[in-house]
Amino acid sequence: MLQRFLSQESLRKRALTKVNHGALYDYLSTPLTSKKVECEELVIVSLDLETTGLDPKRDKILSYGLVEIRHMMVKLETSRHQLIAIDEEIPEESAVIHHITDDQAATGIPIEDALPELLERLAGKVMLVHYSAIEQNFINAACKKLYGAPFVIPIIDTLVLARQLFERRNHTIQAGNLRLFNLRPRYNLPNYKAHNALSDALATAELFLAMASEMFPQPSKCQLSRFLTR
Amino acid sequence: MEIELVEIRDFLAQRPPFDVLPEEQLNQLPKILDIRYLRRGSDFPPPESDQSYIYILRSGAVELLDEEDKLVEKLGEGGVYTTDCQLIDFGRAIRGVSTEDTLLYQLPCSHLKVLRQSEPAFDRHFSESIRDRLKQAVRTLQDNGENSSLAQMTVEVSHLLKKAPITIDTNSTIRQAAQLMSEKNVSSVMLMSGDRLAGMITDRDLRKRCVAAGLSPDEPVSAIMTTDLETVQENTLAIQALMTMTRLHVHHLPVMRNDQVVGMLSATDLARHQTTNSAFLATDVRKAETLQDLAKVSARLPELQFQLANSSATALHIGEAISSITDSLTVRLIEMAEAELGPAPVPYVWMCGGSQARGEQTSHSDQDNALLISDQMKPEHAAYFDVLAKKVTDGLNACNFVYCPGDAMASNIKWRQTLSAWRKYFNTWINKPDPMSLMLSSIFFDLRPVHGDKELFLELQSEILDKTRGNGIFTAFMAANALQHRPPLGFFRTFVLIHDGAHDDTFDIKHRGIVPITDIARVFALSQGLKPVNTTERLLAAAETSILSREMGENLVDALEFIASMRINHQAEQIRKGIQPDNYLAPDELSDLERRHLKDAFRVIQDMQETLESRYQGGRFR
Repeated sequence: MLQRFLSQESLRKRALTKVNHGALYDYLSTPLTSKKVECEELVIVSLDLETTGLDPKRDKILSYGLVEIRHMMVKLETSRHQLIAIDEEIPEESAVIHHITDDQAATGIPIEDALPELLERLAGKVMLVHYSAIEQNFINAACKKLYGAPFVIPIIDTLVLARQLFERRNHTIQAGNLRLFNLRPRYNLPNYKAHNALSDALATAELFLAMASEMFPQPSKCQLSRFLTR
Repeated sequence: MEIELVEIRDFLAQRPPFDVLPEEQLNQLPKILDIRYLRRGSDFPPPESDQSYIYILRSGAVELLDEEDKLVEKLGEGGVYTTDCQLIDFGRAIRGVSTEDTLLYQLPCSHLKVLRQSEPAFDRHFSESIRDRLKQAVRTLQDNGENSSLAQMTVEVSHLLKKAPITIDTNSTIRQAAQLMSEKNVSSVMLMSGDRLAGMITDRDLRKRCVAAGLSPDEPVSAIMTTDLETVQENTLAIQALMTMTRLHVHHLPVMRNDQVVGMLSATDLARHQTTNSAFLATDVRKAETLQDLAKVSARLPELQFQLANSSATALHIGEAISSITDSLTVRLIEMAEAELGPAPVPYVWMCGGSQARGEQTSHSDQDNALLISDQMKPEHAAYFDVLAKKVTDGLNACNFVYCPGDAMASNIKWRQTLSAWRKYFNTWINKPDPMSLMLSSIFFDLRPVHGDKELFLELQSEILDKTRGNGIFTAFMAANALQHRPPLGFFRTFVLIHDGAHDDTFDIKHRGIVPITDIARVFALSQGLKPVNTTERLLAAAETSILSREMGENLVDALEFIASMRINHQAEQIRKGIQPDNYLAPDELSDLERRHLKDAFRVIQDMQETLESRYQGGRFR
């Protein structure tokens, strides 16, 4: 509840008091990106997680994929895909979505090894996701479990931006309209067949560039606050 | 690499120039790219760039414009823009704009350099001039002959020789030679001076030069031999030997190993080997007794064109082969008419015009012809030539060389005239050029004798060339005419891109590709007074004069060969499917590479047309 009334920067400082060393300590020690920074100067990390289900308390992270946007360009050299090993069988209903098999997952690394790298890649940057609840809540849950403190980061959510754009144009939103792969054709973006954490992160990054250029004539001169979800 | 960037890797792998990169380089490539998004109407290339890049369009469209804002090029999915890496691909373009929302991949020039240094095939894509690319394209087209029936025609002639060479010394008598030929059951014999081939005689020579001429068979055989012999080497391909025979109108070719005779190749040897080839068709034409026989032979022309297109024959040779059969058909029709009407009262020559004259026919051309009659002609002779012309043009029509829509045929009295009348025509056309004469120019300034008194023709031809040679005003008119048909800029998705930015759904490869080159070659030939009529020969001859640089000449020859091959392949495919061949290519039947090569060819034509335009602009001329 308190979170709604405090600035993100205060939340970061509060969280920092709860840890005194380790990956989350290092992460929280880095100041968050200011809302006043222009897009041109931002480092935005487009992130996607594949999970065993939708409940951050019960379900596990299976993989993450990320790619950075700098100077409003997707930098493919920064792309990263990591499988995460879990100590249980992958439920069939989720395997249908992410196509990660138990054998593949077994080649991954445990979450306690994966999370530090992920936090390092996110430190001081902005997180870009399509439907922020999954990524934010799963990383938050993992941080709390492993380090005993919450995860704080400025977030741009393309799903929220899409809803705003629909509403601004008085378009009624129908089922499925706001899904990542239904939004992309509206911006003449190619159809990606692959469905994994990295290709979704990439798809989200491209969608953001397209939406930003629709929202503002010179998106690179806009401040981060114009895009933030919270 | 991350297997997850496979979408981008696969996209690049399908497209030139990246398609020639080895797996390993391709796999690493996506990691080096940045992705940008340009909303419709944005400047291209994106202005705020820290360094120079090449750009690859992943989706969307970009138009490139010159300083007058005229469209120079339009890039679509897979389009590559390299200008910023000092690789000038789009010469006159000075700015660009995205005309659709566009997703771009950008690759630093510095990395492009690394790739070019490590991969020669990739490098070639950028370093080759249009000239080298066209040469390569023509070579590739010719190597692509896959085929079944014509694979046989790619055997070397040494495999077709059935007998050891039959030779006799030049000092032998005609009788001895004839006895040897009877004994060995052959229609020709080679004459040796020591171990050197000195000449040959055929059955025909015995008949015409000995018996008919009343020469004694005891004379030395050297008296009737042909000495100016065309020979082929034993490793020559059968198809090439066939072409040589067709071109020279001969049926026997001595086969050599360096300068030693190893055998004699006859048209029959080739015919046995391959049933539908032009030598075989030509033989059938000669044997034909009735119009029906001839029509049956000519019905096999599309099949011949199809087979030749599937072989390694060049467009140049296919045009020659088809035209030479049309010549044979014409000659046979004239012979049949003369047999019926009796010999002509005064000398005349039957001339063909247009593509047949140029040796560039395809199997579905219409007929263009004319009669040139000696000035000895009297009014009472008119009826004879009227009937002759009618019979021959009707015959050609029955053989699927349909009547000329413009009535440019010998059956039209206007084009059945004496030497003095023709002289007047050409005087008027050359001295007072008007739209009508320019329209006729592609037919009557491309003339070739087919049958009859060739001296008559040569007299007319040399007078024409004397008048056009160095004639600035006439050349300027012809040059203006040669600018009527412009090649397209290129292709964009499923459209043909025209200069004013308009789109066509199909590409008329004849009028937008072949005719412009044919017209240009005619301007050069007439203004320099050159005798060749075939476009390639005209260009090569012009390149020996000051009017055309050797490089430009070669470029035009290659451009023509490439475009004409595309046309022949397109028609071969239609023939295979049993549909009437035409000249309309749909852009989506072209591969990326073919589009690129065609664009190079168009570029060569555009450059030449621009040169002509500035050289002859406003009646000025050199």
